Amino acid sequence: MIEIKKLSIDLGDFKLKDIDLKIERGEYFVILGPSGAGKTVILELIAGLIKPDSGVIEGIDNKRSALIYQDYMLFPHLNVFDNIAFGLKVRKKKKDEIKSEVNSAAEKLGITGLLDRSVQTLSGGESQRTAIARASVTDPELFLLDEPTAALDSNTRTGILELLKDLHSKNKSTFIHVTHNFEEALYLADRIAVIKDGELIQTGTPNEIFNHPTSKFVADFVGFENVFYGSVKDGKFTSENDPDFILTVNCGNCDSVYLALKSEDVIVSKEKFESSARNSFSGTVTEVINRLSGNEIVFMVNKTKLISAVTKISTEELGIKKGSQFRLTFKTSSLKVFPH
Amino acid sequence: MKKIFVILLIILVIMIAAPLAGMFLKVSFSDFAAVLKDDEVINSIVLTLRASLWSTLAALAVGVPASFVLARYDFYGKKIIEGLIDIPVIVPHTAAGIALLTVLGRKSLFGQITGISLMGTEAAISIGMFFVSVPFLINHVKTGFRLIDERYEKVAGTLGASNTQTFMLISLPLVKKSILSGSVMMWARGISEFGAVAILAYHPMVASVLIYDRYESFGLDSARPVAVLLITVCLIIFVTLRVIEHKSGKSGR
Repeated sequence: MIEIKKLSIDLGDFKLKDIDLKIERGEYFVILGPSGAGKTVILELIAGLIKPDSGVIEGIDNKRSALIYQDYMLFPHLNVFDNIAFGLKVRKKKKDEIKSEVNSAAEKLGITGLLDRSVQTLSGGESQRTAIARASVTDPELFLLDEPTAALDSNTRTGILELLKDLHSKNKSTFIHVTHNFEEALYLADRIAVIKDGELIQTGTPNEIFNHPTSKFVADFVGFENVFYGSVKDGKFTSENDPDFILTVNCGNCDSVYLALKSEDVIVSKEKFESSARNSFSGTVTEVINRLSGNEIVFMVNKTKLISAVTKISTEELGIKKGSQFRLTFKTSSLKVFPH
Repeated sequence: MKKIFVILLIILVIMIAAPLAGMFLKVSFSDFAAVLKDDEVINSIVLTLRASLWSTLAALAVGVPASFVLARYDFYGKKIIEGLIDIPVIVPHTAAGIALLTVLGRKSLFGQITGISLMGTEAAISIGMFFVSVPFLINHVKTGFRLIDERYEKVAGTLGASNTQTFMLISLPLVKKSILSGSVMMWARGISEFGAVAILAYHPMVASVLIYDRYESFGLDSARPVAVLLITVCLIIFVTLRVIEHKSGKSGR
């Protein structure tokens, strides 16, 4: 287990205050926070590249942790092969051993055809694959990923995320991944730590973070107001927290899945109406929250909290107030599915 | 604005090229051929190139690691050291020669302890050249190291490289171009040195001293062909080096 105790550092314009984290071996741990929250500094501290002012990090062999940056940091004077081979060469491995290990890593990452290329001619996705190959040949116990998809377009990003997930499930390594992207966290994380202004706001499973945010910041930051955790069987989702809350979703069977739904996609009406939307529930208003852009109405549907964004005029015209009952409707296609 | 700047550039080029062209045009082919056969001249040019090469090689051995330290680490007194390294550029080179003579002459502590006098030797010439031209190499290489993203070194560390391996395999190749151009600058500066060398070792005469000596003893017509030969040799060497530098520098900084 990796244990971070009371970690603090003051870098002038940026401070990290008393960070406490416990990360299990083999865990995919995501540190989530907005830009400038100090995520990269934590990674560099864990990698032993900078020294903290106070606090300790236990359970890490710095020689067996690999760091992957968002801008890849491929050595510009070496070609793809030599970049990947770097960690093996400094370990003084034999030439044919290096060759076979580099080839096998390149094959796993789908970059066999690039080995002779100069790294300056690679696309973003190819560069990140090379960087991941370079890290993985050294067989690290710990992968440290600094926003590894931030510089990529969305299609390439998806490919890299799948690759990371695959790598994690095959290796027994621990992954610590920092990102500002909530969807990435939902897709990859076993557990998440949310960080803001150098302070740890909350740690927990994605379910705990998104359904029981301990601060408004967490709720605002994730961008999706409704996140449900449960399982899917034959296109029917059953919530783990509330077995009576069943949704129609656009995917097959999955034991463990997160669904995310934006509050503006939830329609509030007095009566049930006929439409193409597959999900419709009756809910009771528990809270009306005044926001700049309109109101956020919190409903209880069975034991599940459901938030809908409603304009101030609609709130008034429909007579939405605490305790009143309404119909809540949303389309299957507005539910984002994150199999886990 | 662009027009004025272009005109200023042309004026600058004329100011540099005109004296050189004038000097070349004044030298007849027979004068030039005679200089080529003059052993004293050829020996002196070879001595100049060689002595400056020794000083540059010595500076590489000491200066590259020193530049790395200055580029990467902050420590107490760093600004003072950086200022000190720049001093040879700003002091008159005759003064630099006097300073070196004080330390290396027969009556100096060094001379009294070792019984060695370096005065009038090739070693003294190299030392003089080193003193006045080493800032060019150090400042060039230091800038090169500063321009490398330190994260390359950090990544190398996480991949298992020791500090020495990181320096040799990553940092050094990335500043290859800066090292090459800094060395060329330093070597060139050494070749052109007169003041400090003339005080430390008037004999054996390096080219700059020989040109001065011929001018003083025999006049302008005698000095000019030697100057033309030295400039020609330097031009050929530096153009060649720049071409090599350009080709090899494409992968590094």
